[in-house]
Amino acid sequence: MSEKTAKWIFWGGTGVSLLLFLVLTVDTHRQFSTLTHADKLSAQVVAGKRAFENRNCNDCHTILGFGAYFAPDLTRAYTRLGEMPIRRRLEKPEVAFVDSFRKMPHQSLSEQEINDIVSYLAWMSNIENNDWPPQHSEKRWKRSTERMLAAAALSPGAAVIEQEQCLACHNLGKNGGNQAIRLEWIAKRRDAMWIADFLTDPEQKAPGCGMPAYPHLSAAQRESVGQFIVALSSGAGR
Amino acid sequence: MLFKTQRIAYPYFVLALLLFSLQVVVGLWLAINYFATVPQSVVDVFPFSTARAIHTNLLVLWLLLGFMGATFYLIPEETGRELEWPKLAIAQLVLLAGTGVAAVIGFLFGWTQGRPLLEIPRPLDLLVVVGALMFLANVGVTILKARQWTVTQGSLLGGLTFLALLYLIGIPFYNNIAVDWYYWWWVIHLWVEGAWELIAAALTAFLLIKMTGVERSVVEKWLYVELGLFLFTGIAGTGHHYYWLGAPQYWIWVGGIFSALEPFPILLMVVDTYRHAREGSHSFRPRLLWVYLIGGVILHFMGAGLFGFAHTLPQINYYTHGSQVTVSHGHLAFFGAYVLLNLTFFYFAMPRLKGFPGAAFDERLGHWGFWSTSLGVLGMSLSFAVAGVLQAYLERVQGQDYMISQEPIRFWMFMAFLHGLVVVAGVVMIVWHLLTLKPTTGESQPITRPEEKIAVQAV
Repeated sequence: MSEKTAKWIFWGGTGVSLLLFLVLTVDTHRQFSTLTHADKLSAQVVAGKRAFENRNCNDCHTILGFGAYFAPDLTRAYTRLGEMPIRRRLEKPEVAFVDSFRKMPHQSLSEQEINDIVSYLAWMSNIENNDWPPQHSEKRWKRSTERMLAAAALSPGAAVIEQEQCLACHNLGKNGGNQAIRLEWIAKRRDAMWIADFLTDPEQKAPGCGMPAYPHLSAAQRESVGQFIVALSSGAGR
Repeated sequence: MLFKTQRIAYPYFVLALLLFSLQVVVGLWLAINYFATVPQSVVDVFPFSTARAIHTNLLVLWLLLGFMGATFYLIPEETGRELEWPKLAIAQLVLLAGTGVAAVIGFLFGWTQGRPLLEIPRPLDLLVVVGALMFLANVGVTILKARQWTVTQGSLLGGLTFLALLYLIGIPFYNNIAVDWYYWWWVIHLWVEGAWELIAAALTAFLLIKMTGVERSVVEKWLYVELGLFLFTGIAGTGHHYYWLGAPQYWIWVGGIFSALEPFPILLMVVDTYRHAREGSHSFRPRLLWVYLIGGVILHFMGAGLFGFAHTLPQINYYTHGSQVTVSHGHLAFFGAYVLLNLTFFYFAMPRLKGFPGAAFDERLGHWGFWSTSLGVLGMSLSFAVAGVLQAYLERVQGQDYMISQEPIRFWMFMAFLHGLVVVAGVVMIVWHLLTLKPTTGESQPITRPEEKIAVQAV
């Protein structure tokens, strides 16, 4: 490689990357106000941010995943805890965390500062950040709702399982036979629709499995079985 | 040492080493906070946040003082000219050290800007800026007057200027937290993966030229390529911090692709160092210097390249972002890339500053120090990595409560603490060794040094 090529790599590489970065920075600024709902960024929210920085909160907690990793992430604290629990933690951390093996320092915040921080966290909880953090993801909440609906439809599914004597082969809790897969395990990998479909002709999806077909069940009945089984799974919704 | 003003490096190195020792001791206290229960009465007076601010700011301060000292050592030799204002360089050290001490005492009393890693209060930021201007003026004028332009000087001066400019972006208060983090990363990321890499590459090139006797044009040609790749991947690679802060979705692509390429320039640096070491003359001693230099580039690649790549892709980062996985990467990367480079430079310069260039000295304690700190930090990073994976799985994948995820990692934080003890022991050995370095008595004939040939050519 000649020195000239080397210089080209330096100036070319730097230039291309810098140009891309600056262009995207300009565009990002155009989009920030929508993504962060800047119209709701009131003076009180800004005061909350100042109070938050005054107490160096971010050197234990993370926000949007940044900061220290010693205490929970606060991006969705408002959605997760709600207003009163946040107030309680800010007012009397020594009481709120009396049983915790990790303590939060007492901040001696004024009533006003607490209000400001609460409104700051409320504003922050609505930032559109590609659904991070996963443990507080919206998709996860929605899956929980689906699970609840599936559980509400529990009785019809249970009735069908009773009627068709599934437990002659399958295990459920302490009941049932040992010939086939435990019902609680099925939904670790399968969803309700898959199970409903499977029931029409098990041999087709799992040749040699030895399970009889249930073509006489209606689509709604088969689906209720699927939902019942999904509701049984301890890991459902992950 | 060929120029009188190179001596200014000495007090910089001494202060850097003392701050380094303090930094690692505070690190032990942080680890204790993770596995033990610190009672409320202590937490109220000296919270984790204060100790963490001290730990990180001391790191930045001592590394920068080390870089500055190294620059003062390097510039006269590279330009063939005494430093322009030696007294200004001393004033600068007093100013920056004073600012650092004031900041640390301020943290203890809750005086802080409150933004992680940039906790130094805004009034003190102004003093830092004054110090940076003194430094840049001193170095810049010396380089300009000498007119002995080299790529090494260019890279060094470019990196230092870039560093100072980026610091300014970290000073204002931003109303919007997303905008705040966006520019926070201009300081943090573009420092360590931009400006500091320029400085580190320049210092490495200088050391390689001196240590191997490989022709300057060859070393500097590859320096161009390395820097080009560092900046190409590093600048747009800032996007890997923009996945989850409320920035547009295209950052997931830009950040993912560019940062996936980030290990390559580091790999090239490893290969180049190895090649120059092989091609060059092997007469350069002490062997200790090679241990630090080669150890540094390898751990740089592991910590920044491999540990960084392990969680930079958005599909993985969604689960590991802001967990102990980040801590693991941060410790090994900083140690490999910047701590060991600083120590290499100290070991290169100290015998010369103390007036026995090239003479043999008792290397044993330095070797012990290297292996204790390196294996200690490696073990610590692996402990953090296990803790991080556990945390990511329990909290992020399973959706368990944060504190539930912290319970099982206590053991691994204790392991990190034990490794921390080894690191502290190693640091004490290195600091003691460097500060008391003496030539072995009765064996003072100088060893043939390639640097002398070059120095003659330069004059």
